[in-house]
Amino acid sequence: MTFPRLFLCATTVLFLAAAMSGSVQAQQGAITAPPDTGLSPAQTARAEELGKRVKCMCGGCDDAAGMCTHSGGNFAGPCGVAKAELKEISAAVAKGQSDDQILQAAVQEYGPTVLVEPPKKGFDLLAWVMPVALPIIAVLLVWGVVTRWRERSTTVPADGPPIDAALLARAHRESGEGDE
Amino acid sequence: MDIFGSFALLLALVAAVYAFVAGIAGIITRRPLLIKSARNAGMAVCVLVALAVATLEYFLQTDNFSLAYVAAHSNTALPWYYKLAALWSGQEGSLLWWTFLLSIYVFFALFLNRKRHPELMPYVGVILAGVQIFFLTLNNFIESPFRILGAADGTGVMHMARIAEGSGLNPLLQYPEMVIHPPMLYSGYTGFTIPFAFALAALLGRYPGEKWIHITRRWTMVAWTFQTIGILLGAHWAYAVLGWGGYWSWDPVENASLLPWITATAFLHSVMMQEKRGMMKVWNVWLVFSTFMLCILGTMLTRTGLVSSVHALAESNIGGWFYSFLGIILAVCIVAWYKNRDYLRSDNQLDSLVSRESSFLFNNLILLAACFAVLWGTLFPIFSEWITGNKISVGAPFFDKVNVPIALFLIFLTGVGPLLAWRKTSLDGLRRNFAWPAAVGVASGIAAYIFGFRNFYALICLILSVFVTLTIFSEFYRGARVISARDHTDIFTSARELTMRNTRRYGGYIVHFGMIVIFIGIMGSAFNKDVERQMHVGDTMTIGPYSLLVQNYDEDTNANYDAQRATMEVFRDGKSVMMLYPERRTYSASQVTETIVAVESSPLRDLYVVYSGISPDTNQPVIHAYLNPLVKWIWFGGVIVVLGTGLAMLPNRRTGIVLRPVETRISEPISPEGAVAPAMAPITHRASLNE
Repeated sequence: MTFPRLFLCATTVLFLAAAMSGSVQAQQGAITAPPDTGLSPAQTARAEELGKRVKCMCGGCDDAAGMCTHSGGNFAGPCGVAKAELKEISAAVAKGQSDDQILQAAVQEYGPTVLVEPPKKGFDLLAWVMPVALPIIAVLLVWGVVTRWRERSTTVPADGPPIDAALLARAHRESGEGDE
Repeated sequence: MDIFGSFALLLALVAAVYAFVAGIAGIITRRPLLIKSARNAGMAVCVLVALAVATLEYFLQTDNFSLAYVAAHSNTALPWYYKLAALWSGQEGSLLWWTFLLSIYVFFALFLNRKRHPELMPYVGVILAGVQIFFLTLNNFIESPFRILGAADGTGVMHMARIAEGSGLNPLLQYPEMVIHPPMLYSGYTGFTIPFAFALAALLGRYPGEKWIHITRRWTMVAWTFQTIGILLGAHWAYAVLGWGGYWSWDPVENASLLPWITATAFLHSVMMQEKRGMMKVWNVWLVFSTFMLCILGTMLTRTGLVSSVHALAESNIGGWFYSFLGIILAVCIVAWYKNRDYLRSDNQLDSLVSRESSFLFNNLILLAACFAVLWGTLFPIFSEWITGNKISVGAPFFDKVNVPIALFLIFLTGVGPLLAWRKTSLDGLRRNFAWPAAVGVASGIAAYIFGFRNFYALICLILSVFVTLTIFSEFYRGARVISARDHTDIFTSARELTMRNTRRYGGYIVHFGMIVIFIGIMGSAFNKDVERQMHVGDTMTIGPYSLLVQNYDEDTNANYDAQRATMEVFRDGKSVMMLYPERRTYSASQVTETIVAVESSPLRDLYVVYSGISPDTNQPVIHAYLNPLVKWIWFGGVIVVLGTGLAMLPNRRTGIVLRPVETRISEPISPEGAVAPAMAPITHRASLNE
C-alpha cells in the first residue's frame, strides 16, 4: 500500500473508530447527597444515570430530569415533575427492572419525547446513521473526484502558437491576478 | 414622536426599493448617474434606520409605555444600560437592530468601494438592497416596534393607553454580557450578507479575475470574528447566569449560531485553494451562499418557534416570510450558478493526495460533516414528527456523541494540514515535520494515563492538542531561526518579524493555537464534579480541594429586584482563601427568580457556587457547588483566536526593493538631456509598506 493510501486509510479509521465508540457525554460526577431511597450506592448511581437519560417534562425547562435546575423557578433544583420522574425511576431500579424496561415505561407514560436521545430504531435510527454515513459517502465521493482529477491531469501539449511571455505577464497584470 | 420612527422606517424601505430598482435599471442601461443614485439610496438606508433605532431607544430611556414594545420589555427601575439592551431583547426590536447592523455593513461596503470595481458594485448594491427590502418589510408591516397600545373609552373611541409601568426586561438578560453579546452575534450574522453579495455579484456579472474572492475573504473574516466573539460571549453568559454549571447545552438557538460559523470557517480555508491554485471555485461560491442561507435559517429558528428552545424570542407568524425568503435566495443562487457554471471552472487539478490541497479538502469535508450533524440533530425532531407523527427530543448527549469524534479529527487535521506542502509532500518531509511532535503527543498521553487520566476522548484530545501545539510552535521556530541566523537578532524578535511578513499564515497558526486552547478547556468538562446539599449557617461541604463554610444568609432589596444572598467562606488546606456570595434575585416587574452564580476562576479549575434557594420539600436553604476544570482556557483561547484573526487581517510587511545610485565613470552613455544617467543598482532592504 502506498503512503498516501495508508495515510488516508489511517485517518478514516481513526475517525470511524472515534465515531463508533461509546458515550462521550460530559460526566457530571454527581456526588449529591442521595435522598433516603433505600437503594444501594450502585443502584443510586444507576438511578442517577437513568435520570439523565429522560427529560424533565414540566414544559418550563429543557433539562434532563436528573439535571433539572429549572432556570427562572423559585428553587434552582429539580422541579416537582422532575422529582416525580426520578422517584419512579428509583422505584423501578429498586424493583430490579432493566434500563430498557425503565426507559420504556417512561416512554409509555410521557411519550417518546421523554428520551433525551432519539431511539435507535425505526425512522429515528436515521438520526444516528446520517451523521456517520454522510461523511463516509462524502469521503468516497472526494476520493473518486480526486482520482479522476489526477488521471485527467496528464500534461497535454497546447494547440496553437506559443504565447509571448511579455503578453502573458501583461494579461496577468491587467486581470489583477496575483495581487492581494 | 412614534410617527417619526415609523416614518423613518418607511422611508428606509422606499430608499431600499429605489436602490434595488434603480440598480437593476443602471446595470441594464449602463447609465452611470442611475448607478450612482442607486448607491446613494443604499447608503441613505443606514441613516434612516439609525433614526428609527434612535427613536425607539429614546422611548425606552424615557419610559414611554404607550409603545407596546417598551411596555413589554422595559420598566422604570431598569438601569439605563439595560434599557439600551432592551432594544434587542424582543422580537420587533431585535429585528430592527438586525436591519440597523446590516445597513451599517451595506453603508461601508458601498462607501469604501465607491471608486472601485465599477463592473461589480452595481450588482452588489442590488443584492444588498434586496436583502434590506426583506428585513425592512418585516420591520414596517409585520413586526413593527412602533406599535401604540390603544385603549377604548366609554364611547368606543380608541385612545393612546396611559400605562405607568412596563413588564420589565427578561431577568436572564439583565447581565452585563447581554449588553454586548447580541450586538456581536448579530454583527456576525448580518456581516455574512456582504461576502454573499460579492460572491453572487461576481457570478452574475461574470467579474473577471480573482479580485472578488479577496474581497469576499476579507469581509468573511470580519463577520467571522464578530460571530466568534458573539458565540463565546453567549457561552460565558450561559455559564454565569443560567446556574447549571455548563456553558453549552446544544440548544437550537445555540446551534443556529454555530452553523454559519462552521461553513464560514470552511470557506476561510478553502478560499486559499482558489487564491493559490485556482481550484474549488464552485465549492467556495456555495460555501458563501450556504453561510448566508444558514444565517437566515438560524434567524428563522430563533424567531418562529419552529423548534423549541429555552432562549428563542417570542413565537410569531413570520415563519412564512422566512420560508419564502430562503426559497427565493436558494432559487437565485441555483440559477446564477447554473447559468454561469463555466465561469467557475478550475484552473488546476490535484497533483497528490498528500498535499496541502487534499488537507484542505478533508478539512472542508470534516467541517461540513460537523455542520450537517448539528443541523441534522437540530431539525430532526421536525422531520420525525412529519414522518412518524411522534415528537422526539434530540438533546445534548446526541450532539456530544456525534460531534466529539468529528472535532477530534478536525484537531488532527489542524496539526497536519498546514505543514503539508502545496501540490505534493514527500514522505521524508512528513517524517521530518511530524515525527517528534507526534512522539511527544503520544508520550504525554501515556504519562496522563499513568497519572489517572482515564477518559478515552479526553486522552485523545490531550494527545492531539500536544501534537498540534508542537507543530505550530515548530513552524514558528523553524522560520524564526532562519531570520535570526541571517539578521543576528534574538529568536523572539525574529519570530515577530516572521509573523509580520506573512500575517495571514502566522495569524492563522495563532488562531489554530487558540482553538486548541479552547478544546483543552472543553476537554476539562469530562472531569466536572458537583455537590448539592442543604446547608445551615455554620455547615461545611467539601468539593475537590475546597471546603465551603456558610457564614450567613441575608436579604437585600432595591427597586428592580429583591435578593437573597449566601455568604460563604472558602478554605483550602485549612486556610481561608476567599469569600463567595452566591445570590438569588426575584425581579419586581416580572416576578421571575434568577441565580447570580459566584465563580472563583483559576487556570486549573473553577469553583462555581449556586445558592439554589429554599427547598420546597424541607424549607431549608440549599447550596449547589461545582468544580469545573479548565473552563478558563475556553475564554482565554477565545481571546487568542480573536487576536490571531486580527493579526491575519493586517497587511504583510514585505521585503521591498530600493534602488540606490552607484558611481559611474564619465565615459558612460549620456542621456539625451546631456545629464549623466546614474546607473541604478538594486539593494534589498527590509521595509514595511505601512511605515
